Amino acid sequence: MKKILTLSLSCFLVIAFFASCRKKVEETPPPPQVEEQPKLEKVEKPPVKEPKLTEEEIFAKKSLEELNAEKPMNVVLFDYDKFFIREDAKLILQNNAAWMKKWKSVKILIEGHCDERGTEDYNMALGEKRAKSAFDYLASLGISSDRIKTISYGKSQPTDLGHNEIAWQKNRRDQFTIIEK
Amino acid sequence: MIARKLITLACLFLVANFILYPQQEVVMSIKEGMPLIPVAIPNFSVKDTSPEAKDAADILYKVISDDLKYSRVFSPLPKNYYNYIKPLDPDKILFQDWESIQAKLLIVGQISKQDDKTIQFEAKFYDVKSERFIRGKTYQTEKSLLRLAAHKFSNLLMETYGEPQIFTTKIVFISNRDANNELYMMDYDGHNQTRLTFNREKDYMPAWSTDGKSIAYTEFKGGNARLYIYNPFEGKRKLVFDLGTSFGPCFSPDGKKLAFCSTEDESNSEIYTARSDGTNIKRLTFNKSADVSPSWSPNCREVAFTSDRGGSPQIYIMDAEGSNVRRRSFGGNYHDSPAWSPTGDRIVYVSRVQAVFDLYILNLRTDEIIKLTEGYARNESPCWSADGRHIIFSSNRIGTIQLYSIDYDGANLKRLTSKGQNKLPDWARN
Repeated sequence: MKKILTLSLSCFLVIAFFASCRKKVEETPPPPQVEEQPKLEKVEKPPVKEPKLTEEEIFAKKSLEELNAEKPMNVVLFDYDKFFIREDAKLILQNNAAWMKKWKSVKILIEGHCDERGTEDYNMALGEKRAKSAFDYLASLGISSDRIKTISYGKSQPTDLGHNEIAWQKNRRDQFTIIEK
Repeated sequence: MIARKLITLACLFLVANFILYPQQEVVMSIKEGMPLIPVAIPNFSVKDTSPEAKDAADILYKVISDDLKYSRVFSPLPKNYYNYIKPLDPDKILFQDWESIQAKLLIVGQISKQDDKTIQFEAKFYDVKSERFIRGKTYQTEKSLLRLAAHKFSNLLMETYGEPQIFTTKIVFISNRDANNELYMMDYDGHNQTRLTFNREKDYMPAWSTDGKSIAYTEFKGGNARLYIYNPFEGKRKLVFDLGTSFGPCFSPDGKKLAFCSTEDESNSEIYTARSDGTNIKRLTFNKSADVSPSWSPNCREVAFTSDRGGSPQIYIMDAEGSNVRRRSFGGNYHDSPAWSPTGDRIVYVSRVQAVFDLYILNLRTDEIIKLTEGYARNESPCWSADGRHIIFSSNRIGTIQLYSIDYDGANLKRLTSKGQNKLPDWARN
């Protein structure tokens, strides 16, 4: 037992001695090396930082399809046969405008849609007027009009294929699609 | 003395009336009320015993009988009448027999097989009373085109009686049977439904050019609703208008002009015209309300359309230059999709009452209105046949939207489509 202890102790002393010797040997050329080492560490760090790196970068990374799939701008609903902006729609449009103000490069298409209880022809005019109502409201909130395009799909593209008031209300809508960013 | 004075006064009044309100020119042709022409169509004789010739005879016979029944000009006699007389011998026709069962016209058809592919169909028609041959034709065709050969013979009858040849005209429409909305066309009777466009875009609101060779329609693509003129037979397409949402085309009956709608000015739908090739675009309506659904009068001097300038969508008529606008629909709060009859005296349109759409016909001469459909459904997008006797429209009465045919007086309602949803028909004039 004692032998083992003395052996390990002597080993430790030998290692400690060598170690101290090395340090002393290396201390002669150190200044440049000490400066270089932290630089290497900094290169390793960015991948860890990336998620914090920005909303802008994430935004820039997304394709138009991905962005539209997230539906950053909410749908606005309308009354039967009408195209005025309802009170509940105003809040949604304010949020949509805020989003557009945040992302200043974005250009959007407002799609006006109608329910099946109007005729094909007249619904085309009505859908466009619904799109125009949202256009005007966004413009009044300071969104530049050259960032907005409008189109009417009449009743050709319902979002809900049902034939009841719930479906009809869903279909009387303005939909916002990002077409440029 | 007093009487004489009164008479002169009355005369003066009449003359003044005539000067102040000159009679409007009315294009009219008297059609309804004319008796139908009874036609005997004995079974067509088959010259050889081949089953192909027999089958061909059945098809030709059925198509011609159906055409004539549909025509509202001719009336095929009930087949059991033929039992009272001797069977037809094409070489020795006993006209008295045919007269005895009240036939005015006798159709004689003979079918033979030429070779493996070709069927020969010889068709003649006779005036029974005068015992005279009127006209005839021999058609050589392959089996797949027998219906067309039959329609051509029906057309020959129509032409002989001064009627438009509607049986070979095509109907263009929108169907989603193969996924998204695409252009399709079919025969007037619903046969030969053929797809015309193959794209991923949604096509909308087609209209035939006057010569029946091209189709104006809207294509929704990339956030645009552009108006094109497309010739499906040559595969050529031309852009007409790409500003705003452009839709609702209608070619003038003289073939010179195209009317359509666009929202290019402040998102308000207005009516525009162009030459029929899509050039030289001019605006017709100028106001803050929506104007849609233009339809030319047969003489091309006027355009019927829908406008909500009075607060709700109503039918108006204006001169072809956009002036002299007058309202023609009253008594409801939603009228749309006027289509001017080729005979000039009627306009068919859609009226909405509590979310039910029905077709009505306004008689422009008498101001009489008749209700055409009674479907408790959405009956809409009416269009006329070239002879003004029939109307094709869409209806969701069976749950899905399908195309139907109905006569100007509400008779002979018939469904033409069943696959997918089918809508927005337009019937070629040629």
